[in-house]
Amino acid sequence: MKADALSPVFPFAAIAGQEDMKLALLLNAVNPGIGGVLVRGEKGTAKSTAVRALAALLPAITVYPGCPFECGPEEAGRHCRRCKLCDRTQPAVSRKVRVVTLPLNATEDRVSGGIDFDRAIRTGCRVIQPGLLARAHRGILYIDEVNLLDDHLVDVILDAAASRENRIEREGISFSHPAQFALVGTMNPEEGELRPQLLDRFGLCVEVHGVPGRDERVEMMILREAFDADPEGVIRRFDSRTRAIAAGIEEARRLLDQVVLPAPLRGSIGDLCREARVSGHRADLVIEQAARAHAAYHQRTEVTEEDIARVAPLALYHRKRDAAPAPPPPPPPSGEQEHEHPEDAPEQDREEQHEEDEREEPDSKPEQSEQSGEAEQEPEPSPPSEEESPSNAPEQDVLEKVFEVGDTFKVKHLTTPKDRVFRRGSGRRSRTRISGRQGRYVRSTEARGTQDIALDATLRAAAPYQLRRKRGNGIAVVLRPEDIREKIRERRIGNFLLFVVDASGSMGARGRMAATKGAVMSLLLDAYQKRDKVAMISFSKSEARVSLPPTSSIELAARLLTEMPVGGRTPLSAALVKAGEVLRGQTLRDPTSRPIVLLMTDGRSNVSLFGDKPIDESLALARNLARDERVRFIVVDTESTGLLRFGLAEMIASALGARCFRTNDLQVETLLDIVKGDSGK
Amino acid sequence: MNDHSIYPFVAIVGQDHMKLALVLNLVNPTLSGVLIRGEKGTAKSTAVRALADILPAVTVVKECPFQLAPWDDPVHCRECFRVDCREKRLAHEPVEEVTRPIRVVELPVGATEDRVVGTLDLEYALQKGEKRVEPGLLAAVHRGILYVDEVNLLDDHVVDVLLDSAAMGVNTIEREGVSFSHQARFVLVGTMNPEEGELRPQLLDRFGLCVRVEGIADRDARVQVMERRVAFDEDPAHFAREWESESLDLVEKIEAARRLYDKVEIARDRLYAIADYCLEVGVDGHRGDIIMMKTAKALAAFDGRTAVGKEDVDEAAELALPHRVRRQPLMDVAESVDKVRHKHSPEGGSK
Repeated sequence: MKADALSPVFPFAAIAGQEDMKLALLLNAVNPGIGGVLVRGEKGTAKSTAVRALAALLPAITVYPGCPFECGPEEAGRHCRRCKLCDRTQPAVSRKVRVVTLPLNATEDRVSGGIDFDRAIRTGCRVIQPGLLARAHRGILYIDEVNLLDDHLVDVILDAAASRENRIEREGISFSHPAQFALVGTMNPEEGELRPQLLDRFGLCVEVHGVPGRDERVEMMILREAFDADPEGVIRRFDSRTRAIAAGIEEARRLLDQVVLPAPLRGSIGDLCREARVSGHRADLVIEQAARAHAAYHQRTEVTEEDIARVAPLALYHRKRDAAPAPPPPPPPSGEQEHEHPEDAPEQDREEQHEEDEREEPDSKPEQSEQSGEAEQEPEPSPPSEEESPSNAPEQDVLEKVFEVGDTFKVKHLTTPKDRVFRRGSGRRSRTRISGRQGRYVRSTEARGTQDIALDATLRAAAPYQLRRKRGNGIAVVLRPEDIREKIRERRIGNFLLFVVDASGSMGARGRMAATKGAVMSLLLDAYQKRDKVAMISFSKSEARVSLPPTSSIELAARLLTEMPVGGRTPLSAALVKAGEVLRGQTLRDPTSRPIVLLMTDGRSNVSLFGDKPIDESLALARNLARDERVRFIVVDTESTGLLRFGLAEMIASALGARCFRTNDLQVETLLDIVKGDSGK
Repeated sequence: MNDHSIYPFVAIVGQDHMKLALVLNLVNPTLSGVLIRGEKGTAKSTAVRALADILPAVTVVKECPFQLAPWDDPVHCRECFRVDCREKRLAHEPVEEVTRPIRVVELPVGATEDRVVGTLDLEYALQKGEKRVEPGLLAAVHRGILYVDEVNLLDDHVVDVLLDSAAMGVNTIEREGVSFSHQARFVLVGTMNPEEGELRPQLLDRFGLCVRVEGIADRDARVQVMERRVAFDEDPAHFAREWESESLDLVEKIEAARRLYDKVEIARDRLYAIADYCLEVGVDGHRGDIIMMKTAKALAAFDGRTAVGKEDVDEAAELALPHRVRRQPLMDVAESVDKVRHKHSPEGGSK
């Protein structure tokens, strides 16, 4: 591996703890059929270190010398018949399985392959230059921070992983080659989740945490310092253990074909998957493959219950129906113990299943309860003179109170539809084409118009014709206008979120404010991941205030929210006027932006601006605001679900042309994408 | 070294934490950097630029685009475009070498990804019809200091690039037809104003140390700031000469500490103290422990001692942990690690 030569790699055997992660990686080394591992976890837990260290342990395979696609005699050679790129009369050579790193900033031509520029210039032939998918064939494709990978690359990888071959139809090349690889990725869930399709491609998934023991931590520090001072020494010290593991893997690989799975056990795998209510059948297959690898690694030729019990949690972790823990990762709950007690794992799984059933009830909270528990224990220091109060305070009109932040949850995806408008900006919410020279260079196009020339693609396009074109002026490559390619850049830009929060006295009743704050906090967490800009308007007593002018500092918004007092009347009309002002400022500054306004209120407008009936006034203002097509409104109705309901928020919502949600509806589990059903704009 | 348009590091009034954190990174570059948080006009950028005066020296192969040391394996050389030294290097023959102060490379906030990572050398491709790599900032900064002003405003995709190379010390280029990887180990120094948005937790964790700077409250010190600034503006050369001996003293002290670092012993008890510290305030992962230990050792070495004392550990905590203390989502970075610890300890540990 090229990268290994560059910087010494911390030995696998020296990594303390993290047994699940190490096991999952080893199983993949034994049996590539498992399809890879996703390692999720907090920062600094040896995730990347372990994957890089794995390279030293991998067994050898035989390949034809010079084959750009890593083909060997074991393979049927279906591709080789068409491919003339290597000499197959030479005896095959043996080399180690590779770990190929896919950097986040890779361009598509390097991932799937493109025309070989040097050869094209010299020979005038279109010869393929293999990409990373070719290099990774029969090996491991490693993506660090995989959740940050751009969508277009994810698509390429998914396609190759699903069909087990990579089809290239670009730059005048039409070619396909086998690409069978185990996908290994690491990610920190704080930065957002993976797309479900990609998640499913990883055979196993493990969650890593810091090691809690003092002694282990001390050992780790000593070892790390020793490694930084003298890497070779540490590698030598662990050499015998490294070799033992490598030999174990080699042996297990040989044994793997002989491992049999007794028929009744196949049934119990099916049961496990049914109980976990996984979708599709990949989990069954992965468990079977992993169990066989586990048996082989322990030098047995028959799979036992224990093998299955040990590997099943790894395969089911990310496939369970609600297995998308929201950021930040919840601390290991007691359910995690199952990894330590393989023999009774099936029962535990079943128990967990019951819990999940209960979670599916419409008004139950997702697994975030621990986190919110923390939030309640440790409220931000509130402004002086205002006392904390429990959320069930009686309704009060004049006194201001500060309510705690209620439960937070993972919010569903709010976005604006992708369109053909080019924008500037940075963020992660909505995908858009990017004008200007910023953004990730995605691919090239023949279409002209932006003057953002993709010279690499242009050169590749021109290369095959160079032998026939006349050269001069010491320039080796003659370009014609028809060669010119331009860059298509893409990235997600953050949206502008305007929170309009009702802080009137009526919100104090029955925990409404706590729930509302919880909802806003959840949206803010989401906003952080999407790199949105936020602004906040709060209204109470007789006026609406811009409590937070547009900013990227989500932290500031969170602090303001925690400290926001409640009390007084409901000047909804004033709030709508204020929202209009903020929006006008924003759309003037950036005409292509598509702001999203979240209005959180119970709708009981009772302060008039011009002397009309307050609610009529608010409705009129709302209709007025709705005229700007660029702005999307979402109303969150905080009125509690009781017998006596006014439904005023719904009226406001229809005046705004917005959908009206209750706080619970915002949770990702309960509804489809808000935007899909939304006539919105 | 003789650039007199730079305000001398030693002449900066106050901001001792910031200066210490920067110096410690010169003592041990594996501390992997400092994040300086603070308001405008608190000498953040001045301090980083002033480092130029006190940088230690490195020996590199002359004009090596990847800043390799003469004794490094010639790993990149086979694919390197500098033909003249390639042959010699591959044959392990001696090559011309230079000793120069380590580099401070500034990463502009608007930098494009291809400039940072490296890309296809287009000029060469056009003239010669051959592909070769044009190294980016990450190649230039190997064994040096990467300075990002307003690091919180950096484009997201550039941050992604930094994350990987800052952690692993290797930059992998797979773009625009070029496939190449090279070493990129650097000290990451960033400044930011927290009012303009927070850093992503991943990037935050990559900075070894974190310091806050504030405007100086002391009246006399403020006057001193003004006086020195005026003196510097009037005659930078003269001003620099005045501070030269102090600068040299500091350079010497840093050199001595670099030599001493390997001899610094840290007792097991102290390591336990570090582990306890991290467990009690709640730190994600293990980078906090390791950085804290290295910081404590660097502090002892800078002080000319070969044993780490309790005060080193305490001071190291304030430098290495504030940005690692586990927070409520969206909470501000902790002001004092010690306070956090004491808030937790009556309840018997961290949540």
